[in-house]
Amino acid sequence: MTDNIVIETKALTKRYRPGIVAVDGLSMNVKRGEVYGFVGPNGAGKTTTLRMLLGLVHPTSGDCSVLGHKPGSPEVLARIGTIVETPAFYPYLCGRDNLKVLARLASVPYSRIDPALKEVDLLDRAQDKFKNYSLGMKQRLGMAAALLKDPELLILDEPTNGLDPAGMAEMRGLIRELGRGERTVLLSSHLMGELEQICDRIGVIKKGKIIAEGALDELRHGSRLKVKAEPLARAQELLGAMPGVGKIEQDTDALMVEADPASAAAINRSLVEAGIEVSELYMMKLSLENVFLDLTEENKQRG
Amino acid sequence: MDSLIAELILLRKRVATWILLGFWLFMTILFGYVLPYYAYKGDIRFRERGGQVLLTTLLPHNLVTNLLSGFPFFGGTIVLILGVLAIGSEYSWGTLTPAFTQRASRLKVFFSKILALAITLVPFVLLVFLLGFIASVLIALKEDQPIDLPSAWLFVRALGISWFILAAWATFGVLIAVLSRGTALAIGLGIIYGLVLEGVISEFANEISLLSYISKAFLRTNGYSLLSSLGASVTGEGPGSFSGSLVSGTQAGLVLALEIVVFIAVAATLIKRRDVAGSS
Repeated sequence: MTDNIVIETKALTKRYRPGIVAVDGLSMNVKRGEVYGFVGPNGAGKTTTLRMLLGLVHPTSGDCSVLGHKPGSPEVLARIGTIVETPAFYPYLCGRDNLKVLARLASVPYSRIDPALKEVDLLDRAQDKFKNYSLGMKQRLGMAAALLKDPELLILDEPTNGLDPAGMAEMRGLIRELGRGERTVLLSSHLMGELEQICDRIGVIKKGKIIAEGALDELRHGSRLKVKAEPLARAQELLGAMPGVGKIEQDTDALMVEADPASAAAINRSLVEAGIEVSELYMMKLSLENVFLDLTEENKQRG
Repeated sequence: MDSLIAELILLRKRVATWILLGFWLFMTILFGYVLPYYAYKGDIRFRERGGQVLLTTLLPHNLVTNLLSGFPFFGGTIVLILGVLAIGSEYSWGTLTPAFTQRASRLKVFFSKILALAITLVPFVLLVFLLGFIASVLIALKEDQPIDLPSAWLFVRALGISWFILAAWATFGVLIAVLSRGTALAIGLGIIYGLVLEGVISEFANEISLLSYISKAFLRTNGYSLLSSLGASVTGEGPGSFSGSLVSGTQAGLVLALEIVVFIAVAATLIKRRDVAGSS
């Protein structure tokens, strides 16, 4: 593992019993300082993978290293902040006492507690019992707990669960802020819009396997051009014969063309010179959701 | 040390710990002093059935022997619940995940929990003796009897043995909570085992040799055998009495020590090896 790689897994597999494979030969790399989005549908194996990275779940096979060490070792845990699924705390303790318990287990001074609570805007409610917190407050306390150790690596599993739109936006801002500089964030979610706004790179997981990994622009496979022209059938015929043009799909009264955005002007000229009236031609940026649906659809077809 | 302090915070701030302690003290004083003294003072029904309470058993010099019989019975069951709650709730609340992802290793967290539990048992012993002492002194003053205390050596041995018996039950609670990954089933099974199964099998142990052999491994048999070695009267009728066959004090001590080690070792192995899922 190079110094630049913070998390590395090779053929990581978790089988619960014969026939049930939660994670299936998963290989991924998370680089230092990046916000890595881990995207996949519910039940794809995201949480099991994160639990293996934290040493909570033992892999059946494969290799896995976190910050250059075996997952779950004290020297690694001391440098990681985490939220896994719904934040779990002791219901009879107040927010501050919950953090005191975790601070003791992490050998972190109590002086870190108030800044962490302040960071997530929970200082005023720190004396309230955890059982009386709303889901959003629980999530924020989870984030405060994750920040207690001032960690090098944050592993966050669905951190915006239960938050209202304002809370989600706030949490996204916080994660973006935390991901600046040297700190690495591994963020798991099935909310594509959330990841799209925060992440530098994304790994798409389906049925326990990484089916695509890269920067969002790479995953978009370049971009698509939307071409609205008359007559549409002739335009499609002409575009199909052009070099550098990939898949062409008809979308009601327009064509979606897989092509390099730089070739847009050439495409326009060719169509016009062939007597085709072009009313619209522009680059469509695919959303992560489109990419994900495309990938999982392709995957389904291959399977 | 940090992990131990964390576990002590968890036990100290939990209302259930104080409720169990209060209930244990209440039961011990009620059955050890209040009801026997009431019977002694002339409850008609009690006397009609030929019941007899000797005032001497309620006086300070019999403090140790009078109080001890509650430990393998009520006390054991109550601290079994404490042991279950100490770790079983972590499964129910899903708090093993944050506990195991801070810095301390799983075994460090687990052994800190065991140590915190062992420390928490100390007031369960000391307060019973303190309240028993107060009750016996009040009775002695009321009945104009001498206030003589048991020997210091007997007192020290009684404190140690009482704690030891409670420790065996509490670690048994820890084990069944880890096995069942929760509290409800563990408490139910623990109470049935402690109050029913051991009692019933001990009853039949005098008649069936196989059961006699099995009953020699029971927590209650060994607990009562240890008390008997201190001179406490454990056979007879009523709460805190025991009808099974006893073993020597040395054997009882060794068996309980071995059981504590086995309970902790099995629970620790499971804690270390099993996957930690979310809350159940």
